[in-house]
Amino acid sequence: MLRIYGGKVFDPANGINGQVKDICIQDGRIVDTTQAATEIDARGLIVFPGGVDVHTHVAGGAINFARAMTPEDHRRTQAFIRSQTRRSGLGGMAPTTFATGYLYAGMGFTTVNEAAVPVLSARHTHEELNDVPIVDKSCLVLMANNEIVMNLMEAGDYERAKHVVAWYLNAAKGYGIKAVNPGGVAAWKWGKDSKELSSPIAGFNSLTPGMIVQQLARIVDDLGLPHPLHLHCNNLGAPGNIATTLDTMKHLEGNRVHMAHSQYHAYGGDGWDTMRSEAAQFAEYFNAHPSMTTDTGAVLFGDTVTITADGPWQHLLYKLTGRKWGNLDVENETGCGIVPYTYKPSNLVNAVQWAVGLELLLLINDPWRVFLTTDHPNGACFWRYPEIIQLLMCADFRNACMAKLPAKIKSRIYLPEITREYSLYEIAIIMSAGPARALGHRQKGNLAVGKDADLVIYREDHDISRMFAQPRYVIKAGEIVIDDGDIRSTPEGREFMVQPEFDPTTEDFLRPLFEDCYTMSFENYPVELDRIENPTIQDCSRVQ
Amino acid sequence: MELKIIDHATCTFCGCVCDDIQLHSDGQRIHKAEKACVLGKAWFLNHSAEKHYPDALIDGEPAKLADAISLAAELLHAADMPLVYGMSNTTCEAQKQCVAMADHLGGLLDSHTSL
Amino acid sequence: MYWGGNPAECHPRHFTKYALMPKSKFLPNGRKDRTVVLVDIRETKSVKAADLFLQVRPGKDFELLTILRALLKGHDVGDREIAQTGLDRAVLEDLLSRMKASKFGAIFFGMGLSMTRGKHMNSAALLTLAAELNSFTKFVAMPMRGHGNVTGADVIMRWQTGYPFGISFNRGYPRYNPGEFSTVDVLVRGDTDCAFIIGADPGATMPRPAIEHLARIPTIVLDPHVTHTSRIAKVHITTAPAGIAAPGTAYRMDEIPLPLSPAIDSPYPTDEQVIKQIRAHLEQKPNWLPDSQQTLASQV
Repeated sequence: MLRIYGGKVFDPANGINGQVKDICIQDGRIVDTTQAATEIDARGLIVFPGGVDVHTHVAGGAINFARAMTPEDHRRTQAFIRSQTRRSGLGGMAPTTFATGYLYAGMGFTTVNEAAVPVLSARHTHEELNDVPIVDKSCLVLMANNEIVMNLMEAGDYERAKHVVAWYLNAAKGYGIKAVNPGGVAAWKWGKDSKELSSPIAGFNSLTPGMIVQQLARIVDDLGLPHPLHLHCNNLGAPGNIATTLDTMKHLEGNRVHMAHSQYHAYGGDGWDTMRSEAAQFAEYFNAHPSMTTDTGAVLFGDTVTITADGPWQHLLYKLTGRKWGNLDVENETGCGIVPYTYKPSNLVNAVQWAVGLELLLLINDPWRVFLTTDHPNGACFWRYPEIIQLLMCADFRNACMAKLPAKIKSRIYLPEITREYSLYEIAIIMSAGPARALGHRQKGNLAVGKDADLVIYREDHDISRMFAQPRYVIKAGEIVIDDGDIRSTPEGREFMVQPEFDPTTEDFLRPLFEDCYTMSFENYPVELDRIENPTIQDCSRVQ
Repeated sequence: MELKIIDHATCTFCGCVCDDIQLHSDGQRIHKAEKACVLGKAWFLNHSAEKHYPDALIDGEPAKLADAISLAAELLHAADMPLVYGMSNTTCEAQKQCVAMADHLGGLLDSHTSL
Repeated sequence: MYWGGNPAECHPRHFTKYALMPKSKFLPNGRKDRTVVLVDIRETKSVKAADLFLQVRPGKDFELLTILRALLKGHDVGDREIAQTGLDRAVLEDLLSRMKASKFGAIFFGMGLSMTRGKHMNSAALLTLAAELNSFTKFVAMPMRGHGNVTGADVIMRWQTGYPFGISFNRGYPRYNPGEFSTVDVLVRGDTDCAFIIGADPGATMPRPAIEHLARIPTIVLDPHVTHTSRIAKVHITTAPAGIAAPGTAYRMDEIPLPLSPAIDSPYPTDEQVIKQIRAHLEQKPNWLPDSQQTLASQV
């Protein structure tokens, strides 16, 4: 029982824009009134719904491989010293699971979506998610390079493909469907890639990436999943890839789709020397198509480690940088590559990437459809979000940062002409209310009576980055978890999942195929529900 | 005698961790381990539910489990630099307990990998 | 390709269940569609399974790997350098052309590579060779992990501490330094004053000075058997064997977790239950570290 009084509340889901309002909390939910045992004097403070990260990589085989590859970063990063009640941990480029919870909660984020899970290692991913404290979690299952699904799609057996996808989603205890470089990761098993939406994929006769994205988007809608198809397009990171991205969006016209980390998919030029921003082209198309959402995957300068299911891209990045490279092939399902990377302001390509991430956030005019991410840890680590907020809210600061870039950059980007500054209300949309809505989390990103009492209280500060990095209080499920930088408690979070229905003959269909091409027993493959801490099953309802 | 059959059992003898083993067990002893290799068969068939060893030993003498547990905690807590080592032939659930204990003790933590 | 391992005797089903025999969409004839190479210092039982056996001179793995990398890149390598590996140029060139011509190559390396002269340098050279082969075709490499669930320990330590082994928590957070915090070194130097040993028998496998130190200090052993280490220990606790009587999870060498299905009822508690109880006792005792306020502020 808690009452927060006198704060200026920013609650875009209910149109509340800075009005002074009391918030009462009981049993983890927001209520009308309460006999408060504890009161927080929020006079002069700012109240937001807790942050929601729509796309991050915090648990699973890939990030855990990245942890092994970067001991030099662990050594220099922030250490979390254990207490009698709290486990130790390390922050940095690939934080440990415990530290991941502390760091997210520490900057006011209370819900995170792990965006890439192979079904085969879903059991592992959930083990890790169980060890991420405080925040609520969900995860998306990789489907666009699954050989069984691809064979069905090539054979034109849409209905069966739909049931198989639903079965996989149940087996993985996932929340939604992720597509990464459709067909390209399968082609990577031949050392090849798949860059054209209408060209057949290596190892297949007629199946194309275009067919995969269209059918997956339809499956997601037919199954009524709360979150649309979460799509990492073909041809990530390559100069001139705006053509592929626009082609993909045209393939999906009229469908719900979430375009992941669009920063990596909005480049012009025909080589590294001529690479330029095409954020305006992306934004123009996107603004005109309201069934789409996106997150930016913004880049910040500095060291990080890139991890993606996009295996062929990671091999290219290894060859470009000569740095460490990890490659994981996940049987018939997907793959993954890991390469440490440093974004440098003096590097023209990196400078363009930095600008594109911000341009997309500034040129897309509906904040309800574009969300704050860095595709952690790919563009930058998630704990650097406050720096992006500052860049969005302060044009002067943005211009000062731009002045440090190579002079040649000016003709390649749109940022110098953009004067837009985000308001606090808009920030509350892109970091909380918007991603919560896109994920279909009706209880999140919303401070109305009956909603989850996840919220964050900031001190108003001219230093925006400091304001968002050091909240005064963070409250998760009604409990004060962060009090002025001190981790007060580390409750277990919940995990969201869906259980879409599938035809009962699906298992009989899958078992022989599975026994043919997998290395584990069919019976041992699905993750048991009791392996997951506080599972919460979200309804599926057919999308009209 | 009716044997209980366990399908898709997992063998943890070597790093292959094959999970297609069929075990035939009477609850006390495994009589058959189908599909297991020669190493796996020996692994499954050599264990039994019989009590070959005392619950615990202290200084080599049989002791009560509870006494051994409380002495272990006492010794670990009293140490300046306790070491937690091994973790190969055990479950992930026990390994997590090991990491948590080493963290709590402020000690050293290491596995077979370092050999 | 297997390098420094003897799967026929150490991982008997690796050939049949995983790597050589399975038939598939693109390899419909199973073994016949594959080329198998074995590199080792002696002719083991695994040689029978191979199309090509390269007997490398003991201790020359690093040299051989480096020469293969050089030849792959088209650098000149002298006959003398090649001869010291115990192999000749024609054999290496044949090997490289087969590797480059393959559709998908996989190298599995064993302790014959990673635990002999050169150790992690050998592993690094092999991993680099595999990475560089990707300029020609798809190639991957992975270690053949030995003892049952050693992979699980690696994986869990990584997500909970950031490091795979060789960890010290003595500043209240994880630090990593093999050579300083790795067990043999710690024991030989006499740096630890109490050892908790689980799922391992260092009393049978470690160098004598390490074992002597274990005997000197209070050592606690959890094991289904009374082991060599138990005999020099202060405390031994008998536990249920994992996967046979104790339920839970184990990781395969490729980091895929699998559920365990125990088949017998043990009269002993599981490792997990015993450590939980020890931890419950520890939590009653005074905390070593003073409780200090953890501030998050320095991150940005």
